[in-house]
Amino acid sequence: MNLTAPAWLAILAFAITTAFVLHPTPYLMLAFAFFAQPLFLIVAILYFRRVFRELREKEVM
Amino acid sequence: MKLLALELPALVTVVRVLGVILGLLGVVLCLRLLRLKQADLTSARVVKLGFVALPAVAFYKLLAFLGLFAVPVAAVGVANYHVFEGTREVNSCNQCHVMTPLVTDMRDPHSNTLAARHFRNHWIPEQQCYHCHTDYGLNGTLEAKMDGYRHLARYTTGTYKEPIVQRNVYSNSNCLKCHDGTPRYLTVSSHRTLAERLQGNEVSCLNCHGWAHPTRAQRTPGSPDYNRLMGKEKR
Repeated sequence: MNLTAPAWLAILAFAITTAFVLHPTPYLMLAFAFFAQPLFLIVAILYFRRVFRELREKEVM
Repeated sequence: MKLLALELPALVTVVRVLGVILGLLGVVLCLRLLRLKQADLTSARVVKLGFVALPAVAFYKLLAFLGLFAVPVAAVGVANYHVFEGTREVNSCNQCHVMTPLVTDMRDPHSNTLAARHFRNHWIPEQQCYHCHTDYGLNGTLEAKMDGYRHLARYTTGTYKEPIVQRNVYSNSNCLKCHDGTPRYLTVSSHRTLAERLQGNEVSCLNCHGWAHPTRAQRTPGSPDYNRLMGKEKR
């Protein structure tokens, strides 16, 4: 299960989220609301896609 | 926040610290995930986590679940809580420079606007903006939250004009929630005769009580009051 891309995307989203929590300016709030949150959603979709693919390969599902 | 004799940190501080911890934990977990190699997974290697020993594959899967799903969910939850709690503070409103004239005026001991009088007399001890503007912005209903995000997008993209203008009619319910039914309020005969019209927003409280904030003319760049309201010069 290769999760390199989701891991990098998650790191980027975590960095934006941490910066926003530390210093909540309008620009960081915008970055968190419209960039980091959708990134986390993409990460979750990529992760679960891998999980379901692996389960199907093992004929669990 | 005081509990018994203990002085606890403010909730916003706790949320901020928690948010930073979750953010850093997420980054560490993801970096650890990136360091794992295919060879680690195929071998019978065991990873020790304190008292627990896990096969490398199980450790990798646990790491992936935490780093890519569980910690992001927690971080997004905490950051969103920070959005909605943080935006109640006056300093949060003041982050956008178009709000500076309103905040400067509210804190001005010589100003006679409604906001300044409420602030000066401690009628609203904290989160003054939020208490009078609860029905819209990021702390209101879902529709109001969407509007709050519109404000954010307009501000950060610079697609707005100064002075800013309120789109909707300011609802009297924001005033009445504190004043309605109080003995002092009921002694004023016009409050009783106009009760229904005040409840229905047919008449504004501001008609009799004056401006809540500096006028649009005062907040227009280049006006004689603009620099003072922007905090660049004193009265």
